[in-house]
Parts: sequence; structure tokens; C-alpha cells
Amino acid sequence: MTLDNDVRLELYRQFLEDGTAPSPADVAATLGESPEDVTEAYRRLAAGRVIVLRAGTAKILMANPLSAVPTRFRAVMSADGRSYFGNCIWDALGIPAMLGQPARIEARCGDCGERMSLEAGADGGVAGEGVVHFGIPAARWWDDIVDT
Amino acid sequence: MLLFRSEEHVERWRERTGRRGEVFPLATCARLAHAWYANRLAPDWRRRSVDEIEALFAELGLTSDFWKLR
Repeated sequence: MTLDNDVRLELYRQFLEDGTAPSPADVAATLGESPEDVTEAYRRLAAGRVIVLRAGTAKILMANPLSAVPTRFRAVMSADGRSYFGNCIWDALGIPAMLGQPARIEARCGDCGERMSLEAGADGGVAGEGVVHFGIPAARWWDDIVDT
Repeated sequence: MLLFRSEEHVERWRERTGRRGEVFPLATCARLAHAWYANRLAPDWRRRSVDEIEALFAELGLTSDFWKLR
């Protein structure tokens, strides 16, 4: 496997285990690589749209579907109560899909802010009320992924 | 990509913000999320090609201009 793929797998593992986005140094320590090499791997992963870094830094903002910052979309895993923020409703629903475990999705209505709760299965099923709005056409999603 | 309580709430938000996008069912979003992310932690995961993404959208019935990638 390439360094970039090793870094990708390890950063997701640490993100899921700790609930916070790991720094290049965190990932480097586990992989036995230098922080500089892992920083470069982060940049290549970002250039390849695998992760999103905070502008001008090597700090992870998004490792989709996970968000490094609190959002109005959170997945609470049914098995152990661990929770992770998603970048949007698509990503929040992607967390149980990625982990192969059911979760409760806690969200807020984009209009009135009222709390909403959904039950998402590991198989792509969902129970609960609501509709989804995508604001930006698919061809332009990566023009500004943070706003999409 | 936001979640709303109903289409009525989407309309209110649209009137307030002037934003116009695509509205679709929560169940479709969940199916899309599953198809998109279920293999994200696989060692051999890779980004989908444009052809593969378009095929996935079509499979889910997402065929309007909004979903076109080119």
C-alpha cells in the first residue's frame, strides 16, 4: 500500500477512536513515519478531494463523512452511544453506513431550527420525517465544498 | 445539504434566503449516503470516476439537470 492510503486509513481510525481529527504528528507516530511526510500526504489527500484541510494549514476540517467541528448534524451510534458530527445531512447518514452500524441522527430543521431525530440503519434505511435540500448543483459541489 | 421538517419549511427558507436547489426525499438521501460511504474504510477504497457517480445517481433516480456532472 502507498503511504497516502496508509495515512488515509490511520487518520480515519484515529478520528473514529478519539472523536477528534488527528494531526499529521498523531498519524506519523502510529505509522512510524515522519510528521513532514505525513503532512505532505495530508496535502495530497486534500488535493485528491479525499479530505478537506483548513485553509493554509494541515489541520483536517472534513474527513467525509466526518466533520472536525460541531455541526447541526450528529450521528449517535446505537451500539455504544459514541457520536460524530457529519458535514451535512448526507454525511450524517453516511456515518452509520460507513461504520456498518445503526445510529440515531440528531439534526435541526434548516428553516426553523427545531430539533429532529431520525433512526438510520446500517443498510441505507431511515425512519423519520423530513425532506432534504441540496443547494448547489452536483457539477459545482467542489467549487466550495464547505458551503455545499 | 440541509434537512427540513417538510417542503413547507423548505419554501419558507427559500423565500427568506433566495436559495434554490433540489428537494428530494429523506429515504433517497439515506440510500445515496449508504452507496457513497459504505466502503469508505476499505483498504482498497478509491474515489469514484465521473462515469461511476453518474451511474449511481441514475440508479437512485437522480436524473434531473441538477445531478449532471458535465
